Amino acid sequence: MIAAILWLVSCTGRKTHDLSGVNSVEDLKGYSVAVAMGSSYDLMLSEIDGVDVIRLGVGELLVAVEKGRSDFCIIDQFQARMLNLESRGLGIKFNNILKGTACAGFRKEDSLLCSQFNGYLRGIMTSGEYDRWLDEWKSASDSMADASFLIHKHEQKPGDRALHVGITITYPYLFLKENNLTGIEVDLFNRFCEKAGYPVNYEIYDFSALIPALNSGKIDVILSHMRRTEERAKQVLFSDAYIEGGGAAVCRIGDGVISVERAGLRERLRDSFNNNLIAEQRWKLMADGLWVTVQISVLSILAAVMAGVLLCRLRMSRRHMVSSPTGFVIDVLRGIPLLVILMLMFYVIFASSRITGTWVAVMSFGLYYGAYFSEVFRTGMESVDRGQWEAGFALGLGKFQTFRKVVLPQAMMRILPVLKGEVIALIKMTSVVGYVAVVDLTKASDIIRARTLDAFFPLILVSVVYIILSWLTGLGLKTLERQLTPKSRDL
Amino acid sequence: MIKVKHLKKVFRTPGGGELTVLRDINCDIEKGEVISIIGPSGTGKSTLLRCLNRLEEPTSGVIEVDGKDILDSRTDINQIRRKMGMVFQNFNLFEHLTILDNLTLCPMTLLGRKREEAEKRGMDLLEMVGLHDKAGCLPGELSGGQKQRAAIARCLAMEPEIILFDEPTSALDPTMVSEVLAVIRHLANQGMTMCIVSHEMQFVRDVSTRILFLNEGVVYEEGTPEQIFENPQKPVTRAFINRIRTFESILENRHFDLYGLFGKIHMFCNKYGLGTKVSDKVEHITEEMLCGIMPFCGPVTMTIEYSEKTSGLSMTFRQENTLDSILDNTDEDSLQLMMIRGMSNSVTEPEKGTVCVQLGATSLNCTQY
Repeated sequence: MIAAILWLVSCTGRKTHDLSGVNSVEDLKGYSVAVAMGSSYDLMLSEIDGVDVIRLGVGELLVAVEKGRSDFCIIDQFQARMLNLESRGLGIKFNNILKGTACAGFRKEDSLLCSQFNGYLRGIMTSGEYDRWLDEWKSASDSMADASFLIHKHEQKPGDRALHVGITITYPYLFLKENNLTGIEVDLFNRFCEKAGYPVNYEIYDFSALIPALNSGKIDVILSHMRRTEERAKQVLFSDAYIEGGGAAVCRIGDGVISVERAGLRERLRDSFNNNLIAEQRWKLMADGLWVTVQISVLSILAAVMAGVLLCRLRMSRRHMVSSPTGFVIDVLRGIPLLVILMLMFYVIFASSRITGTWVAVMSFGLYYGAYFSEVFRTGMESVDRGQWEAGFALGLGKFQTFRKVVLPQAMMRILPVLKGEVIALIKMTSVVGYVAVVDLTKASDIIRARTLDAFFPLILVSVVYIILSWLTGLGLKTLERQLTPKSRDL
Repeated sequence: MIKVKHLKKVFRTPGGGELTVLRDINCDIEKGEVISIIGPSGTGKSTLLRCLNRLEEPTSGVIEVDGKDILDSRTDINQIRRKMGMVFQNFNLFEHLTILDNLTLCPMTLLGRKREEAEKRGMDLLEMVGLHDKAGCLPGELSGGQKQRAAIARCLAMEPEIILFDEPTSALDPTMVSEVLAVIRHLANQGMTMCIVSHEMQFVRDVSTRILFLNEGVVYEEGTPEQIFENPQKPVTRAFINRIRTFESILENRHFDLYGLFGKIHMFCNKYGLGTKVSDKVEHITEEMLCGIMPFCGPVTMTIEYSEKTSGLSMTFRQENTLDSILDNTDEDSLQLMMIRGMSNSVTEPEKGTVCVQLGATSLNCTQY
């Protein structure tokens, strides 16, 4: 119900422009154009004066046009052809923007691997294998029936150097189908790896995070339909081009392309649901993401409680030499935004190690929320009157017994209500782990949005799941709190 | 049973200074005794009590309990504390436990009692302190007096050999003091060894077998209640027992600030509930003595002492640098002396150069209670 209202509201308030005269990049002056942040279209348009460039994630581009936030968006023309744009009231205005070729990216030091890849490319191009393979893909994509059957799977031999490949979901070059990674570029790279004898791991990154990840050693190869530009070439060693591509400018029907009857609201809702969850078993991706979110949340809470207890113990030390540096550490941890801590841990502190994003996230959350928890614990402990300790001691209870039997139960009553809020904040905050190549619930919805270019269903679904998670956690802690609250009884 | 030798306790102040609270305490507590510790505030009565079970760490000295030095690091202090109950000013009941659970926690944890056994004993003790029907309540639901009685019962549940009472009634409403004192009195009658810090003088006098008067970090005077209350030997004890308040002013020469002095006297009288009439009378006598009778052949020290217990007030004027009697050199018929005699009970000169004017309770025309 609420979802339907949101949908209706978001459909209203469009302004109409006459876009019929726009037929090339130069004509875009004076219009607003949505592009993927950091993409080559972004770089190109930034150099043209008078174009209002709106930089968004891949998943938001079509929605921006659909909702009237921008006049055009530029997406890959191959992809544009595959999507059922007419059903969403959109159409392709013109093609072949920045027609060019995509390359794989390597670290500058890694020229050996790069030349190995180049050698492979040259080999299949001269033998004609390349053309045959590309035709297969093109015809498969045109029919849109099932492109994934083409994916070339190869046996991974253990013991070899595993290549870590950073990708961004870009249909149809790299995408998930029935929860399996597939696409033209993935297929090509798999073939190369098989020939060269490398095991291969694909990791999903944001497009803008690929180059930092490459340079920090997190990944060995960028395979993300990346074009060679002067700017990028300063940091990345590009291979020879292996595929042609270009952008399509998409705008709303009626703004310049021939009008087609739009589907009704109910049909559109149903289509959206099918597209985002049912088709290609995308719900599986969401379910996996949810499991990752739950794992990270639980581990992070445990880590944060442990870190919090430790920091609290040190902070409350009577020795000044211990308590004041701890206070400083707590202040530092609380002074840095969580996302920045996460990125620092991933790209700087653990840059050279191959530790997974999940563990980096658990450590970052543990530290950051440990600092917050420790202060909650400290306030709770300090709120228990000194006299309670003394009464325990005077009766002959030892230090730990007094803590365990007298002080802790009383402190917990004061800690839990405050902690509840922090724990729920932590769970919601796990939604940023997508930045360090972890596919959690939020990232899963991003991936689906990048594929379907539809914002509505994935976001609503993700919100609902987070609400349920928070609510369950709150309920659990509330029950615990109720059990700890002392009750008088009849005797 | 407990021997304290040369006990010293120095507190560090936040500013880095040192505050000596106990200088050199020596005392013994024998089985069956009820020892009360009294003295002016800030003399370390509570500190002494808290040193006995090492809630405060003494700076130096020896405390022996049944021949064991409790300050020795090899002594298990928790073992000692089980035999020494303590009742606090602020009760310190465990807020998260019912009254009965407060009583059973330690016997079950430390003495290995079974729950039923501990609860039965707990209920008996609550019966004894009159809280049988409050067993299932939380401490928050009890009045101050009930809390303190429950705290005493909690102490007894550990079957201590001695109980230390740290100002057990100071935090209570006046209406609730007597119910707590009645319980303590009951314990005293049963022969429980106790050590009590209290400001309830009448109670202390009734219940104690021996009284320690603490002043400036030492046991200043020690004796039976009769000795301390009826016939204190030392001046500070006497001042404390009679609750004497003093005012002192040194006047360098004849040209002192009379009206400034009047102001101070007025404030002193006000502070201790003496009315305007009394302060007028005191000011009048001051004026006659200082402006007529005292020769001022050097500085004059004026002291006013007021006993809250007897409501008697005395004024002393001491002339420095004189060998002559002042009253002898004053004309008996002089107007000033006649007026002073008229306003006071007696004017005497106990030693040469010192004139003492006594105003009895009757001449202090004001309400006392």
